Amino acid sequence: MNNAETEKKKREKAPKPKFNMWQNSAWMISIAWRYKEKKVLVIALLQVLFYVINTLIGLYITPTVLAEVESHAPIWEIVGVIAAFAGGMMLVNALNSYVNTNAFYGKITVRSVIISLLNKKASTTSYPNMGEEKYKELETKSTESTDNNRAATEGVWNTIVSLLQNIICFIIYLVLLSTVNVYVMLIITATSLVGYFVSKRLNEYEYRHRSERTVPGAKIGYVVRKSRETAPAKDIRIFGLRPWLTDVYTDAMRTLFALRKRAEGVYIWSSILSLVLTLLRNGIAYSYLINLALSNGLSVSEFLLYFSAVGGFASWVNGILRDFGTLHRQSLDISSVREFLEYKEPFKFDDGEPLKFDEFGKYEIRLENVSFRYPNAEKDALSHINLTLRPGEKVAVVGLNGAGKTTLVKLICGLYDPTEGRVLLNGRDIRDYNRRDYYKMFSAVFQNFSLMAVSVAANVAQTEDNIDFARVKDCISKAGLTKKIESLPEKYESKLNREVYDDATTLSGGETQRLMLARALYKNAPFLILDEPTAALDPIAESDMYNKYNEMAKGRTSVYISHRLASTRFCDRILFISDAVISEEGTHDELMRTGGGYAKLFAVQSKYYKEGADNE
Amino acid sequence: MNKKYKMSYHDAMKINRRALALMYKHFPGAVMSTFVSAVWGALTPYVGIYLSALIISELAGAKDKNRLITLVLISLISAAAISLVSALINKWKNVKNSYNWNRMWNIFSQKMLDADFAVVDDSKTQEHLSIVMQNENSGGWGLTRVLGNYSSLISNVASFIGGISLTVTLFVSRVPESAGGFTVLNSPLFIVGITAILIAVTLISPALSTKAGSYFAKNSKTNNYANRLFGFFGFLGFLNEKACDVRIYDQEKMCDKYNLDKESTFGSGGLFAKIAKEKEGPLAALSSAVSVLFTAAAYVFVCLKAWAGAFGVGEITMYISSLTRLSGGLSGLLSTIGDMRNNASFLKTAFEFLDIKNPMYQGSLSVEKRSDRNYEIEFRNVSFKYPGSDSFALKNVNMKFRIGERLAVVGMNGSGKTTFIKLLCRMYDPTEGEILLNGINIRKYDYYDYLSVFSVVFQDFNLFSLPLGQNVGAGVNYDRERVEKCLSDAGFGERLKELPFGLETYLYKNISKDGIEISGGEAQKIALARALYKNAPFIILDEPTAALDPIAEAEVYSNFNNIVGDKTAIYISHRLSSCRFCDEIAVFDQGQVVQKGTHDALVADEGGKYHELWYAQAQYYTEKE
Repeated sequence: MNNAETEKKKREKAPKPKFNMWQNSAWMISIAWRYKEKKVLVIALLQVLFYVINTLIGLYITPTVLAEVESHAPIWEIVGVIAAFAGGMMLVNALNSYVNTNAFYGKITVRSVIISLLNKKASTTSYPNMGEEKYKELETKSTESTDNNRAATEGVWNTIVSLLQNIICFIIYLVLLSTVNVYVMLIITATSLVGYFVSKRLNEYEYRHRSERTVPGAKIGYVVRKSRETAPAKDIRIFGLRPWLTDVYTDAMRTLFALRKRAEGVYIWSSILSLVLTLLRNGIAYSYLINLALSNGLSVSEFLLYFSAVGGFASWVNGILRDFGTLHRQSLDISSVREFLEYKEPFKFDDGEPLKFDEFGKYEIRLENVSFRYPNAEKDALSHINLTLRPGEKVAVVGLNGAGKTTLVKLICGLYDPTEGRVLLNGRDIRDYNRRDYYKMFSAVFQNFSLMAVSVAANVAQTEDNIDFARVKDCISKAGLTKKIESLPEKYESKLNREVYDDATTLSGGETQRLMLARALYKNAPFLILDEPTAALDPIAESDMYNKYNEMAKGRTSVYISHRLASTRFCDRILFISDAVISEEGTHDELMRTGGGYAKLFAVQSKYYKEGADNE
Repeated sequence: MNKKYKMSYHDAMKINRRALALMYKHFPGAVMSTFVSAVWGALTPYVGIYLSALIISELAGAKDKNRLITLVLISLISAAAISLVSALINKWKNVKNSYNWNRMWNIFSQKMLDADFAVVDDSKTQEHLSIVMQNENSGGWGLTRVLGNYSSLISNVASFIGGISLTVTLFVSRVPESAGGFTVLNSPLFIVGITAILIAVTLISPALSTKAGSYFAKNSKTNNYANRLFGFFGFLGFLNEKACDVRIYDQEKMCDKYNLDKESTFGSGGLFAKIAKEKEGPLAALSSAVSVLFTAAAYVFVCLKAWAGAFGVGEITMYISSLTRLSGGLSGLLSTIGDMRNNASFLKTAFEFLDIKNPMYQGSLSVEKRSDRNYEIEFRNVSFKYPGSDSFALKNVNMKFRIGERLAVVGMNGSGKTTFIKLLCRMYDPTEGEILLNGINIRKYDYYDYLSVFSVVFQDFNLFSLPLGQNVGAGVNYDRERVEKCLSDAGFGERLKELPFGLETYLYKNISKDGIEISGGEAQKIALARALYKNAPFIILDEPTAALDPIAEAEVYSNFNNIVGDKTAIYISHRLSSCRFCDEIAVFDQGQVVQKGTHDALVADEGGKYHELWYAQAQYYTEKE
C-alpha cells in the first residue's frame, strides 16, 4: 500500500512528456519519409500482411485437412487441398523471410539520421546549455534511446508492426469466435486482461526497486572495467589493490543476487496466476466445445478450429496490451529525443546576423563592464571587466588556477554570454550575430582539444573535402612537424585515432601540440587564443611552443593564457587576474616594478631558480 | 581470410567444449539450470500433443462422455502441473543466470589482473582485448554465445528424440490389406523413401539459413570498424571536454559526412544491405520455402495413411505436430551446429587472449621484514629495451641507495626517469644486468612480497570512484585513524572535515550521486596519503607536482621532507628546482646516468648536463639585465 502510494506520487511528480504515443509514431514515420527511407514503411506493412496471411493459413490448414479426411473425400482432393495450403505458405514464408532480412538496414539508417540530428544539436547548441542539468538529463536519455539496435528509435518499428499484426488478428478471431458464443469470448478476454495487468504489476518489481540496483550495478561495471585497463594497472600492483576490488565486486554481486532472488520470488506468482487462468480458460473452452460436439453435432475439424482460436485469441489480447506498454515506453524515449532536439537556444544562430571576416580587415573586441557568474554560483567568476583587444596586439592573461582566466577566454570566444555587460566586435554586440559565424573569427587552442578520427591533413584543414594540400604542408612545416609526418608511411594521409583505425598513428604530446598549431595556422582567423595548451609540457618545450605561436601570430590579435608567468613575457600587455578582476595590467617590467600580486607570484615561482642564479 | 574464418567441425566443437568447460567452472549453476530448462521445455509439449490427440480421437469416434471428461481433466491438470514445474525451473535458471554478462566480462578482467604488467602495458594486449570485446558486444560472438548454443543444442536433441518416440507408430502402423493400392504405404521401401525425403528437406533448410547467416560473421571486421566510426562521429558533440574545440572549428560538419552516409556499412545502400538484398535475403527465402515442403510432405504422408485406414483423425493431429517438432529439432540442431562453427573463430580469438603467457620469472623468497628498515637497493649494469623496441631506454645504469636517503632523479622528458622507476618496482625486468635488494636479485623474491617494499605516487596515478577511506586504506576494511592521519599529513585534512560523509564519501560521481569532484591537486594529496598509509620503506614520487600551480607546488615541496620521515625517498622531476633539497641527484640523459652529486656540486660543473638544464629553465625567472 505504502509502496503503491509513493509510486503514485512519483508518477505525479514525473513531468508529462511533451509528445504522446501517436505524435511520436507520426514523427518517426515523417523522419523515414523525409530522409527517403520510405522502404521502412513499406517493409513494415508487408510484414504485417504476410504475418496475418500466415496466421490464417496456420489456423485453417489442420481443421480443413482433417475435415477432408473425416468426410473421406477423394484422395486427389485431399492432396490438392494440402498442395494449395503448402503453395500459399511457401510463397508467403519466402516473401516474409526476404522482407525480414532486408528490414534491418532502412531502420538503422533512420536511427543514424536521428543520431546525426542529435549530434548536430549537441555540437552546436549554445555552450552554456552543456552545463545545464536538464539538458544533460535529456542528452543522456537521447543517447540511450539511439545507441543500439534495440533502442527506442529503432525498436519502435518492430513494436508498431507487432501491434498492427496483433490488432488485425484480434479482429479476425473476434469475428470467428463471436459466431460461436459471445460469452465464451468475453470470459476469455476477461481472463487475459486480468492476467496481463496483474502480471505487469508483479513484473515491475525490479523496476520499482531499480534504485537499489543502481549503486551495486555501477560498482560492478566500474570494477570490471578498471581491472582490465592499463592506466590503473601499476597502482593495482604496487598497492596490492586486487583483494579490495574483488571485495567490492563480490559484495555488490551479492546484493544484486539477493535482489534478483527476491524479484524472482515475486515473478513466480505471475507464472502461477497465468497457469491458473489458462486452466480456467481451457476448461471453459473444452467444456463448451465438447458439449457442442456431443449435442449439436460440431464436427471434429470445427472443434479443432475453435479450440485453437480460443488459445490464439488470448494471445492477441495479451500481445496488444504488451505492445501498447512497449510503445508507451518507447514513446517516452522518443519524446526525450525530440525535447532534446527542440531544447531552447539562448544564442542566435541562423536567426542572427551573418558575419563574414575579411582576411585583411581590422577587428577589435571590447569587453564592456563584463561580469559573469556560473549558474548556482554564489559569486561572480569575473566581475566588471573592461578590456579592449586592439588589432594586432599580443595580450597575456596570467593568474592562479581558478582565478577566472579560462572564463575570460570563453567570454571572448562567445562560448558564454556575460551575465552583465557586453562583448563588442568592432562596436557591435556579438549577441546580434550568428554565433557560428562569430566562431569563425578565432583560431583557438584550448587545454582539451578534439582530434578527429581522420587523416593528418584533414585534421589540419578540418575538412575532408577540398583540402588545400599546399597550405596543409606549409602549415605543418611552420609548426615544425614536417619531419615526423613525412616519416610516416602514408604521410599526410595517415589516420589518427587508434580507437577507430587499427593502423592509426599515435602522436606524442608535443607532436599533437604542433599539429594543433598547424590547424590554427590553416584556419588563419583574425584572433589567436591560447588557453594553456602547453600545461603538460616541460618549461623548455612550453617556451619553445610559445615562441612558435609568437612568430605565427605576427599581424594578428592574440591572447595567451598561462599560470607560468615567465612564458608570457614577450607579450605587449599582461593582464594579471586575481579574485575575479583584472587586478594589474602592463608589461612584465611595469608589473614587476609595481611590486603587486604579479611580482609576488613571480617571486614564488622563481625562488628556486633565482637563488641558483644568484649563487653563480 | 575466408580460410581462416572457417574451422573444421572437429576443431570447432573442441573449442566450444573448452568454452563450455570454462563457463561451467565459473558458473556451474547457470549451466546446470539452463540445461535442465532446455530438456524440460523441449519434452513437455509432447504430453499436450498426445493428450489432445486422444480427445480428438474420442470426439471423432465413440464420443463417450465420461471418457471425454476424464481425458479433458487429465489434459488440463497435466498442463497446469507442467507449467508449475516450468515456472520453478525458470526461477532457478533466471537467478543462476543473472548478471552473466558482467560475470563473463570479469573473466577477461581477472586475466588482466593475473597478467604481468608488461603484458597489460603492451598495446597489442589491449588491442586484442578490444577486438574480443567488440565481437562480444556488437555481434554477440564469443563466450556470450556459448551457453545459448549448448542450450539450443540440447533442446533440439530432446525435441528430436521426443518426436521420434511419438512418430514411430506412424511409420510402423499398417494400412489394412483392404485398402488396395494404398498398401504400398506399408512397404519398407516406401517408408525408407519418405523418411529420406523428409530428412533431406529438413537438412536443406538449415544449411541455407546458416549460409545466409554466415555473411555477418564473415564480415565481422567490417562490422566492428563501422561501429567504431559510428561510435566516434555519432557522439562527438556530447563530449563536454571537446565542446569548445568542436564549436570553434565547426567539427559537426565533418561528422555529418559519416553519420548521414547511406553507403556506409550499415546504411540502407551499404555493404550489409547489399548482401541482404542479393545473397542473404534470397537464401533465407529459399530456406523458408524449402521448410514448407516438409510440412506438405508430412501432411500428404499422414493423410494418405489415415485415409487408407491405418489410424484415425485424432492421430493425424498428433503425427503432424510431432513431425513438425521433430523436424524443427533436427533443423535446429543443424543450424545450432552451424552457428557454433561460426562462433568457433571468435572463441579462438577469446582464448588466444586468455592464454597469453606471463613472461616474468616468479621467485618465492620472502622479503625480510626488518624493524630497522635497513634495506639497500642496487642497480648493477642495468640496461633495458621496451618489448618491440630496438633502442635502449636505459643503458648501463649503476646505482646504489640506502634507507633514509633522499634521492632525486632528474632529466628531460624521455631521458629514462620513469623507466628507471618501472624497473625498480619490477613492472619490467631488465634486459641486461640485475637489480639487487639486500644483495639478492629481485627476481628471486615473491613478486607481491617484493612490491610491499614500495610506495609509489606515479605521475599518472589512479584513484578509484569508491569511498575516500577505502582509496587510502587500499581495502574495504582499514584503520580509520591512520587513514585520517595520512590524509592530514598529505594536506587533505581541511577538506576532509568538510566532506559530507567523511571517509565514506565517494570520490567522483560515476558510482554515487553524492560523490565529490576533486581537483588535480586534491587527487594528488589523496594519492600521497595512500602511499603514506602503506608505510613502505621506500617512497617514490614520480613528478607529483606536474598538475599543480606554482603556489601548490611550493607547498608540496616544503612539506614533503617532513612527511616522509625516516623512509627512503626517490623523487623524480623534470623541474630541477624541486630537487634541490635532496641528498643526491642523479641526472639522466638518453637512458644513462650522466651525473651524480648534490645540487651545488652539479650546478658548479659548467660542462655538465645539469648546469645546462638549470640555466635553460632558470632564464625565465631571472631578470633580464
